[in-house]
Amino acid sequence: MSTPVLVLDNLSVGFATDRGLVRAVDGVSFSVAPGRMLAVVGESGCGKSVTALAVMGLLPASAELGGRILFDGRDAREAQRGRDLAMVFQEPMTSLNPAFTAGEQVAEALRRHRGLAPRAAFDAAVEMLDRAHIPDAARRARQYPHQLSGGMRQRVMIAMALACRPRLLLCDEPTTALDVTVQAQIMALLDELRRETGTAVVLITHDLGVVADRADDVAVMYAGRVVEAAPAAQLFGTPQHPYTVGLLGAAPRLAGRRGRLASIEGTVPDPLALPPGCRFAPRCPFAVARCQEAPALACMAPGHSAACWRAPLDQVLAA
Amino acid sequence: MSALLELRDLRKLFPVRDALGRARGAVRAVDSVSLSVAEGEVLAIVGESGCGKSTLGRLALRLIEPDAGEVRFGGEDLRALSPAALRARRRDMQLIFQDPFASLDPRMTVEAAIAEPMRLHGVVPRGQESAKVAEWLERVGLRADHARRWPHEFSGGQRQRIAIARALASGPRLVIGDEPVSALDVSIQAQVVNLLQDLIRDLGLTFVLISHDLAVVRHIADRVAVMYLGRIVELGETEQVFARPKHPYTRALLAAVPGQGAKAPPLAGDVPSPMAPPAGCRFHTRCAHAVALCREADPLLPSEAHAAACHLAAELPPAVAPHETETGGERLRRLQAFFTQGNA
Repeated sequence: MSTPVLVLDNLSVGFATDRGLVRAVDGVSFSVAPGRMLAVVGESGCGKSVTALAVMGLLPASAELGGRILFDGRDAREAQRGRDLAMVFQEPMTSLNPAFTAGEQVAEALRRHRGLAPRAAFDAAVEMLDRAHIPDAARRARQYPHQLSGGMRQRVMIAMALACRPRLLLCDEPTTALDVTVQAQIMALLDELRRETGTAVVLITHDLGVVADRADDVAVMYAGRVVEAAPAAQLFGTPQHPYTVGLLGAAPRLAGRRGRLASIEGTVPDPLALPPGCRFAPRCPFAVARCQEAPALACMAPGHSAACWRAPLDQVLAA
Repeated sequence: MSALLELRDLRKLFPVRDALGRARGAVRAVDSVSLSVAEGEVLAIVGESGCGKSTLGRLALRLIEPDAGEVRFGGEDLRALSPAALRARRRDMQLIFQDPFASLDPRMTVEAAIAEPMRLHGVVPRGQESAKVAEWLERVGLRADHARRWPHEFSGGQRQRIAIARALASGPRLVIGDEPVSALDVSIQAQVVNLLQDLIRDLGLTFVLISHDLAVVRHIADRVAVMYLGRIVELGETEQVFARPKHPYTRALLAAVPGQGAKAPPLAGDVPSPMAPPAGCRFHTRCAHAVALCREADPLLPSEAHAAACHLAAELPPAVAPHETETGGERLRRLQAFFTQGNA
């Protein structure tokens, strides 16, 4: 495999609060190879968005960072936001500037990072909007965000993010605010463009269906830690962490049996009162005494690791 | 089974005004919708944003007034009721909202929130309210001592349980849930879906689920109504609609649900503006099968058990049932059984 575009090495992010230090991300390591799509999956508060913001260098100065973030083998702080790496957020309306047209906003990135003259930048922006399948791109480029639909705005965001051909694109729940038919359009577009440009993508999402359809690799996060990481087919085929097993059972399905959903009891732990050892243990039907100690990610199969004392779970079934 | 709720030819227009208050047109949020919900039935109304599903739910409870049409509850015309009689009827019809952070009054304790509908409708003799509140809290999976706490002390899933207890406290016959689990994380969503199913079964509730989430709909509902731009385009039993969708829009909606492999998006473009819906069939601008007739004539929803408002319903190629990528198989099912046993 070629050198990874992005390497997180024992990343931790802490925020000081009135009640104490909240470690939103606690020892996260993963890497993304060029052209691959890594999905980071988890529920609210698991640290997936904070991880993305740390990579982008968008955390507030008060955040306490630990570990290393390497972009192309160098400290990510040397990489240039917008040119080397870019980000697409959930809410396109709050990420676009309402006072500038769609074309101007895409052109700005091209002027700034590629040094294009205003006219050439605008033309290149129209071309980029066209590649993002915005119908009648030349006319749309002259419209303001409020004149565009939600799906169209997200296409503008993607065009803007990819305009300078970044090596890495981070997408934080890019389709969560959109209707299901538009969601399908945006995911297909992201997939198409990343294959064309060879841009590596980190997709932050809570939607396992989207992950199954589009991702090459998956990292499942729980309470600030990666609990399982594997190529997508392996993660869905032979999940090894109890949390992944529970998540897969909690999502209702479109086909097959309509039985009772496998709900995970209880709630995510308070980040200020984390259980000792494995953070999932209080909700885990497989927990044993040893879970009072924190398990490290251990190799289950080539490329597949899980942080669980009971994994591989096949031994639980055999017992 | 007799119909508990009957909607006949309901219409609702919302006028749209410009910054100076001049009428600029109207959004036809609900346009000639007829629907009946049988006693004890779970009916889902499904569609994308702006299709009119939430407006329909509010019309059904007479929280907003229709421009035309009839709403009958238990055979009684809700529009003919006096304000006092309508207030008394509210005991039988309740609503659960999407956002439990917005639907609970932050200045009311949990006990006050759940006791309020009991008191308003005189369901429980004075002095027994606390005991009844405790009973409801346990029934929705919370503890009796939670009664003295405030909404901000609870997580989203717990707040939705409180909102459910409040909605059920007056002993309604009909409950409408407007995206009741959409704001919740998937593991919490599963808990609340299981809870709703238990309550519907144990209390014999008639439940109308308004949702954009097709997988949740399939899981809960007996029957489904699919809406597009203010109209019902398909109506039928859940298993039928999901396995053999008739309307091209239903087919596209089902095909768009993630988890079925990386394929081309089933629909291009956006939903047209509800201020100026297309003439003829409202879906014709996005429909791959549309012919001249579809641009001219507005198709009606036939009155059959599984109906689609489509001129071509009889001629379309057979539907492809949703096919999700297989995960885990027998091994995963056996592992997941550990999770279901724990909360049986």
